[in-house]
Order: sequence, then structure tokens, then C-alpha cells
Amino acid sequence: MTQKDQSTPGSLPGLLEGVRVLDLTHHISGPYCTRLLSTLGAEVIKVERPQTGDPIRGIGRIEPTTEVHGNDGGRRETEIPPYPPLQRGGLAQVAGGGDAVSPWFLYLNSSKKSLTLDLKSARGLEIVKKLAVKAQIVVENFAPGAMDSLGLGYSQLSQLNPALVMTSISNYGQTGPHRDWKALEINLYAAGGLMNITGEEDRPPLKEGAPLAQLGAGQNAFVATMAALMYAEETGQGQHIDLSIAEYATNILENALMQYSYSGVEYSRVGNRGYGRAAWGIYPCGDGHVGIISGPDTNWPEIAKFMEREELADPRFVSRQGRLENADEIDALMLPWLLDHDKVDIFKAGQDHGLGFAYVATMQDILEMEQLTARGYFVELDHPATGPLKYPGPPINLGSNTSPLMKGGSEGDSSGGQHHGWVYRPAPLLGEHTQQTLEELGYDDSEVRSLRDRGIV
Amino acid sequence: MVQDGATGGPPPQALTRYRILDLSRIWAGPYCTKLLADMGAEVVKMESLRVYDSHRGPVAPARGVVSYPDAEPGDEPWNRNGWFNCLHMSKYGVTLELTQDAGRRVFEQLVSISDVLIENFRQGSLERLGYTYDGLRRFRPDLIYVSMPAFGNTGPWKEYLAYGIGQEQLSGMAHMTGYAGDGPMKSGINHGDPITGSHAAGVVLAALRQRRRTGQGRYIDVSQQESAVSLIGADVLAYQVTGQEPQRRGNRSPGFAPHNAYPCAGEDRWVTIAAATGEQWQSLANIIGGDGGGDGLADNPKFATVGDRLENQDELDGIIAAWTRGKEPYPISQELQKSGIPASPVLRGPDLLQDPHFAERGTFVEVDHPKVGPKWYPGIPWKMSVTPGRVRWPSPSLGEHNRQVYGQLLGMAEKDIAGLERDGVIGVKPTGSRII
Repeated sequence: MTQKDQSTPGSLPGLLEGVRVLDLTHHISGPYCTRLLSTLGAEVIKVERPQTGDPIRGIGRIEPTTEVHGNDGGRRETEIPPYPPLQRGGLAQVAGGGDAVSPWFLYLNSSKKSLTLDLKSARGLEIVKKLAVKAQIVVENFAPGAMDSLGLGYSQLSQLNPALVMTSISNYGQTGPHRDWKALEINLYAAGGLMNITGEEDRPPLKEGAPLAQLGAGQNAFVATMAALMYAEETGQGQHIDLSIAEYATNILENALMQYSYSGVEYSRVGNRGYGRAAWGIYPCGDGHVGIISGPDTNWPEIAKFMEREELADPRFVSRQGRLENADEIDALMLPWLLDHDKVDIFKAGQDHGLGFAYVATMQDILEMEQLTARGYFVELDHPATGPLKYPGPPINLGSNTSPLMKGGSEGDSSGGQHHGWVYRPAPLLGEHTQQTLEELGYDDSEVRSLRDRGIV
Repeated sequence: MVQDGATGGPPPQALTRYRILDLSRIWAGPYCTKLLADMGAEVVKMESLRVYDSHRGPVAPARGVVSYPDAEPGDEPWNRNGWFNCLHMSKYGVTLELTQDAGRRVFEQLVSISDVLIENFRQGSLERLGYTYDGLRRFRPDLIYVSMPAFGNTGPWKEYLAYGIGQEQLSGMAHMTGYAGDGPMKSGINHGDPITGSHAAGVVLAALRQRRRTGQGRYIDVSQQESAVSLIGADVLAYQVTGQEPQRRGNRSPGFAPHNAYPCAGEDRWVTIAAATGEQWQSLANIIGGDGGGDGLADNPKFATVGDRLENQDELDGIIAAWTRGKEPYPISQELQKSGIPASPVLRGPDLLQDPHFAERGTFVEVDHPKVGPKWYPGIPWKMSVTPGRVRWPSPSLGEHNRQVYGQLLGMAEKDIAGLERDGVIGVKPTGSRII
């Protein structure tokens, strides 16, 4: 387990230390983009609506299939049903109203600061513009046009700060006939072409459980933002980035689009079988599900050895095409052995014979996975509402600039090892950094009090 | 080599001053360098004539394989595969054999002029060829080295291999995907690959930025699995708080109803509809009810609150499906969107290329590949107002830019390049193909 707070004095700086980000995002896609920036050490000031904050705070137990991104300006269903009782004291309300936290909020907003601000008030606008002048980056995921009508559009902010990078993430983008279409994850996954190819052939198209279109779009927005930041620092010229979640989905279709483009043959749903492949999918086993993956080709015959079924080494099954033609026969040969063995054992048996097997990991499996714990992947953060929890750590291990392999990675030591260059702090309470941020902008105590009294912050 | 932004030329691109030596294959690494090449980075994709990028497909594939133009592999199938050709536009393609001394000398020269080296070989492969990060820094002291094996460069699984489909399983994504009451389900693509590529691209830029300030390069160890787990972080936390594993719910949501895909007229045509607020539900109920569907739907107490709608979701979905069944997905979506209801067609291949919205935004681009002809490809995945990315040229044929890179960039004499060709160190025809 790693230390709780990499930002304590004496710890290593984040890779993006010194970069200031004005974060006008909410829900999922935008916050994932700014989470990558904040955990890399940028100072991310998240602007939240007074009293209620980011709507995703208020959803106590967010299941992975709950998408709340949309063009509805942060409105949310008020009749949300009660969530299951929470263990360990649950996600307590802390420090007054509007400070509820949810796993989604906690995860997506690590290492950020929270400033409450009423963007519809003149004083609120004045404050956010001051922040835009001091920031290198603004990220927002309001409905297209909302920033303009607030007086915070790129044309307005770039006059105040010509080097500013403004990244706008939206469902369908800032232009085009569907610009104003409302969408949740399911609609974006469908519009982006990914849903049609997921699921069983004779059943409805299926969405992913996790909101991967929104998260992936937020992640791509991080790439675009970094490129624009570098260009701005090199030339003094900022710019506006327009990133659409539906377009992210289309961009990762790969062969699902290409085979139609090249040969006119549509990609179809194949359930848990690999497309145009056999022995390439998810199978039941003794204690769950495993991934039987018949690659690399050359190693396939090895399977006969550890599954103790000589028939599996049949020359008819050696080529990809041969396996495809005999898919059912191969499945029938494997199944008894699979049902008699456990997932991790099957996974390792395959890997130890050079086959890229996998297994369907549950959340419990992930927390216990020997590879992740050996690499010190998880970060423990102690938020007042939850107590200490293990958070997934860096998506990329930065090592150091002097050593080929991170020091201590295998021992889980975070000091300059696995988490070098990344900074982890618990997600902020609502308005936790309002006072500090306003003071840094030059507001004195009485001004801050007055702003609070008027509900502006 | 190509400088944009000169007077009268095309607009500038953000990353023209950075050179990436790209030894990566398949999808995760190539998606990383695609994003960088889209924005003008000079990406030199290096392949071996013996073991080229397997996305190019076999040397002698069966006819009728649909990732080739008109399902016809042709004389040079390795240059005509859509899988490969959608991921390498605007990159330079070179070949080089690192198993030969002459090839190693060229490689070392390439390293010396590159800002970033990226590879996603099986863990330790480059080291077995004699190249460690510290060793490579002799040729380029401030090199940024990105190594992205499946499970990272340390730990008990470091030598294990994984395909994108496996990463979806080992990251927890597959566990939470599937029809309600059924087992886990894989996606139609492999999310683990582009996710890792995108994470890596952003972090490479952050590392380049830091190098500009400190003068120091960096070793970047990418575990594709860790990158994928990063997308389900909220569920990892929720599990620790509640002790409950995520449930597979098909297309439904635990918080809203309706929330599903509904059948339309025609074969395998679907529309997605969701009502996330009471207001959206009322609008939807009025439209369906006004159309004679679900008698008195808007006033039916069975569907009054979101709790009621979640409880009676089977019946509700049946009513909505009865209304959508005879209709087309686009008109339904347009009608519902007019009333502010989240709805969209489930787009298929032809729909995507004909979609009016994507057409207006240039989401897909037509590119004329000399060995393929004009075809549609996914374009640049975002728009930048000052440095718009663009496709500068189609994906390279095997070794297409050998002369340009080795001659113009490294300054090698033509006779030396010809010598490398003669010795099989470089070339344009594969000498083998190990497809994985």
C-alpha cells in the first residue's frame, strides 16, 4: 500500500506541476480529462454550483450502467430510488448540505480543488474570468452554446488570455445538425457504431457496462489538450478544441468500420466469440469465466497438453481458418476441462504455454490481483466521507529519468517508484478551496463573506 | 520533414517539431502514434521484413477476406489491409532488421535523432536484442522511451501476453457488461487497445513538455492492463464501500427508466431511448400516448415516478417497443429530440458513412491509397481551431519511406541504401510473416 498523499512536502512533484486548469466540467467525460491533468500534478480548480455541486456527487451509489452525462445542464432526476445500504458507515453527509459524495465523484475528482461559484451572477462571472486569465487551460462539458451564453465562450475568454487552451467536450460536438441532441451513454454508444457490434447476433445490440464512450472521450480530450498546451507554450497562441463523445466512439471502430469501407461487408454481432475466429472469447469455468484466446497461432497446439485432450492438437485446428470451421467441436472438447478448473489456474496454464489467455475479473479479483499489488498499482486515499479506500493508481507508470525501471515498483514503494510524477489527493469537499482560491485572487475576508452571504460562492 | 504553416500553405500543426520512432504493432501502440501523427508529429514506423505489423495480415491470405478491398487481397496483400491502413495515416513507413549489424547501426542513428521511442513488444524483447533504456541513452541522452507490454515491465506477470479482448476481461470491463441474468460479454471491439494508446499519447506529451523544461528524458512503463483498470475506478471504489459487485443489466440503468434499445422497422434496426428526468418521461409518454400507444401512458400510475418505472420496466419497455416497431430509427430520434428526449439510432456501417451529422463534421475522411484506391476511414477524432489535424498521406506501404528517411533524414548515400537493400536489411517485400 502506498502513502496517502503524494503532495506532502518533500514528495516528488507531478509531471504537470505549475500548470493551472480552470475546470468547468461535471458528470463523467470532462472530469476524467481533468482527473488526468490533476493527478499529473496540474492545479485543477473545479468550479461547482453552490449548494449542490457537480450532480454526480449526489448519486449515492452509482452503478456502472448509470450514465448521467447529458445536455440537460446538470438537472437530474429528483426521484432517484434509494441506493443499497452502505457498509462501514457509508457515504456520510459531511459538512452540511450538498456535500454528499459518490464513488464516481471520488474517483473522477481526485487531486482537484473545489470552488463554488454561481456562474449566472455577475460577480461569479467576474471571478471565473479572473481565473481564466491565470489559467493555461479551461475544460468544459456543458451543452454546446452554454459557455457562449454565459459570456465565457472561446472568443470571449481568448480576448482575456490569448494563450488559453479551451477544451470543449460534448455529445456530438460544437457543430452539425445533431449538435443539440441530448444523450446518455447508451445513445452515444449507439450513435458511434459500437453498440451495433456488441452482443449476441439474435438479441438486441448491447452497451458496455462502464461508460466507456464518455471516459474514452475524456481521455482523448486530455491528449488534445496536452498538444494544444505545448503549442501555446511554444508560440503564445491558444486555441479551442471541440471533441465529441460520439466521434470518439467512431474513431475506435477499427476493422468494424474498415471491412465495410473496404469490401461492403458489414461487421456483425458475434456474442462472446471472436469475430472471424474460434476459441477466442469468454467461456464458463469452475469459479467464473475465462478468456480462451487462441493466439499466437503457433502456440495453439500447446493447449492439448495442459487440457489433457489430445484431440485438441488435431491438425484441422492448427490454422485460424481451421478452428473457425470446427468451432463447436473445439468448444465441446475444451468445456469439460474448463468447468473442472478455476479461472486463475486456467489463465496461468495458458500463459505458461505461451497463449494469451485471460479471465473475467470481478472487482474483488482486481483488488487482489497479484500483478497489480506487486507493482504497487493502488493508491490509498482517505476521504472523510469514506475512510481509506484503494484507488486505481496511475494509468501509465512514469518511472524516473535516471533509471530504466522504477525503483521499488515491485515492492509497492511509491516514493519515486510506481507513482513517480503523479499526485494523489482525495476528491475535495464541496467548496473546500473556495476561501483559498478567492484569497489568491486578492479577495479579502469581508469580500468573501459578502459573496457567501449572497450565495455567489 | 514536412513543414506546415508556411505562407499560403495549410494551417500549422501542433506537434511538427517532435519525432517519434515507432516500433509498436497491432493497435494500442499504433493508436497512440496515430493521435500524435494526426496532430503533425513526425512518426517513423519501423517494421521488420520478417515480422511486420501483423495488422497487415498474412503474406498469402485466403481470398474473400473482407478486410481487403472488395475482399481481394491482390498482389501485395500486406499493403492492402484495412486494419492496418486505418491506423497509420500520416506516418512514415520504414523497414529494418535489428538482427543484422548494419541494421543496428541504422537503428542507433534513428534513435539519436528521435525524441521518443515507443514499442509494445512482449516484455524484454528489445533488451534481448541488446537495447536497454540506459543503453539507448548513449545515442540520445534525453530520449523518452515508452515500453508498453501487456502487464508492464515488472511483476510476476510481466512476461505474459494479452490481446485487447483479454484486457477487457482482466480490467473488469467484461464483468459488468452483458444481458441481465446472463454471463459477461465482450465488446465488439477491444477497448483495452485504444484506451492504452490514448493514455500513452497524453503522457508522452506531458513527458516531452517536462523534457523541454528540464532537459531530461524519461522511461515510461505502460501496463496495458493498468491503463484499462483506470476506466473502472469508480466501480472499484463502490465495491469497497458496499461490498456489492456490479450487476449486468443489459441496456438498462439502475437509476432511470426507460433506458434501452428498441426494435424498429426492418431487419436488425434499433433505436435507443432514455428518459433521465421526470420532464423527459412526461414528454415521451405524451408522444407515445398521443400516437395511440400505451393507453393513457402519461397518467398511468404504474409509471408515475422513476421508482414506478423501474419497477414496471418490462411492461414499459413492451409499450415503447410496440410504438417503435413499425418506425424507422432516424425519424424516431429526430421526433424525440425535438422534445428534448435522449434518443439515437443504433448506427451500422453504412449509416455511419451516410450520417448527415458526421458528414457535415468530416468525422470520416476519404483517402486515396495507391494500392487500394479511395476509401473511407475514421478521421481526426477532435477539432482544433488553430492547428487542425489532418491526414497528410495514406498509410505507408511496407518500407515505402525507406529512401526518404534513410536518405534525406539520416543523410545516407544512395549506394549505402542500395547495399542495405541487397543485404536484406531493408526492403519492401516481406521475407516472412509471423501472424499472431
